[in-house]
Amino acid sequence: MIKKQAQTASFMVRFHQQIFEENGESKIQWKGKISHVQDGEEKRFSDFKDALTFMQQKLNTLTEEATKYQTSEEQENILQKSLSMWKAIKDVGPKVLRDTLKDPKKQFHNLQDQLQDQISNISEEISEKIQIDQWKNASKSDFHKVQQQIEDLAAEIKKMSKKIDSQKK
Amino acid sequence: MADLLQQIEHLKSFEKQAEIKIQTLGNFVLWRNQEKISDKEWGRDKAIQLFQYFISNRKKNALHKEKIMDNLWEDWDDRDFKVALHGIQKVLEPNRINRTEPNFIIRQGVSYQIDLEKVWIDVEALEKYIIIGNEALTIDKNSAKIAYKEAIELYKGSFLPSRIFEDWTSEEREKNQLLILGTYITLAEILLDENPIESIRLSQNALEIDATWEDAYRIQMQAYIAKGNRPQALKTYMKCEVILEEEYGISPLPETKMLLQKIEEIH
Repeated sequence: MIKKQAQTASFMVRFHQQIFEENGESKIQWKGKISHVQDGEEKRFSDFKDALTFMQQKLNTLTEEATKYQTSEEQENILQKSLSMWKAIKDVGPKVLRDTLKDPKKQFHNLQDQLQDQISNISEEISEKIQIDQWKNASKSDFHKVQQQIEDLAAEIKKMSKKIDSQKK
Repeated sequence: MADLLQQIEHLKSFEKQAEIKIQTLGNFVLWRNQEKISDKEWGRDKAIQLFQYFISNRKKNALHKEKIMDNLWEDWDDRDFKVALHGIQKVLEPNRINRTEPNFIIRQGVSYQIDLEKVWIDVEALEKYIIIGNEALTIDKNSAKIAYKEAIELYKGSFLPSRIFEDWTSEEREKNQLLILGTYITLAEILLDENPIESIRLSQNALEIDATWEDAYRIQMQAYIAKGNRPQALKTYMKCEVILEEEYGISPLPETKMLLQKIEEIH
């Protein structure tokens, strides 16, 4: 039997907030540190996704270690099952990120990629990557504004897709 | 104000008079009647572990035996617990007469806890000094300084360093680290005008615990300027910028950048 200790991973997560004024507006910055207790390794993050990735890596190592005497097929099977938990976290992760760690710089890179994906679906003509690096220091209200615009855009895209589909028919 | 100083004095005299004193920061040491107890006297490591668990969870009232054992050891039975507890009692009260109530470990049925009224523990005292310091900060800076200095004096390193891989020690370690980081910064800020060299030292101590603690860089920059050392102030900003980029991929806060600007304007 594998020891309980070898089946356990504990994490200590520290969040540090800084509220500051910039251009007459209140802003918030989150920084964090996650530590894996059993091996003492640490990872700092300003994007919570990095902390989740760190946890995933540690848990994968734990599963690999616990299944090292099984056939590679069995091990692969267990690892796949283990990964399914992370699919759920992946769905929740971005929401957590949006709700808690409003890091404008990274958020807007994410949004940039989302925009890119959506636009590519419609036409090659407008698939040029939108440059929004100047939004690096965007505020919370800017963030919400762009988020709203994306949602509007997504709705428009849906409408257009329907039209295209109906025309094809 | 006098009340705050009295509280500090009370804490100091408790440290002097306590029959049992425990150091957990930087190292684990126990003194019984001012005499340091050797590892040999503890006998089994399980007795030390159980005692350290009591310390780590001293604020959770009455710890249940089964929960303690589950958190501490893989396989255990009643005998393990009895032997470990007996080991503790033997160290704390070697001359206690059989069947009399223990003096330092309070027992209620199958729950146990350390009697904090009788046992002096560094982490407990450190927190109390910081509470006094925080309370004094706005009304009596002098008392605040005394209290913070006492707390800093107690911080000899991280909590139970030989148990860093045990998850039951993590919470206490993290709590103490944040408490002492805050104390270094607050005291360094108080001392900026009267003793900038000390502010530099204190913020350096904070950076040794966490090299990304931006407040510490800002205080160091201010302290170097107070000492007329502009190049060192600029160098400190550079260090801050590099470490924040390396560790988080972010740049310093506007407050830090503004301070840099002010320093750059000095000729």
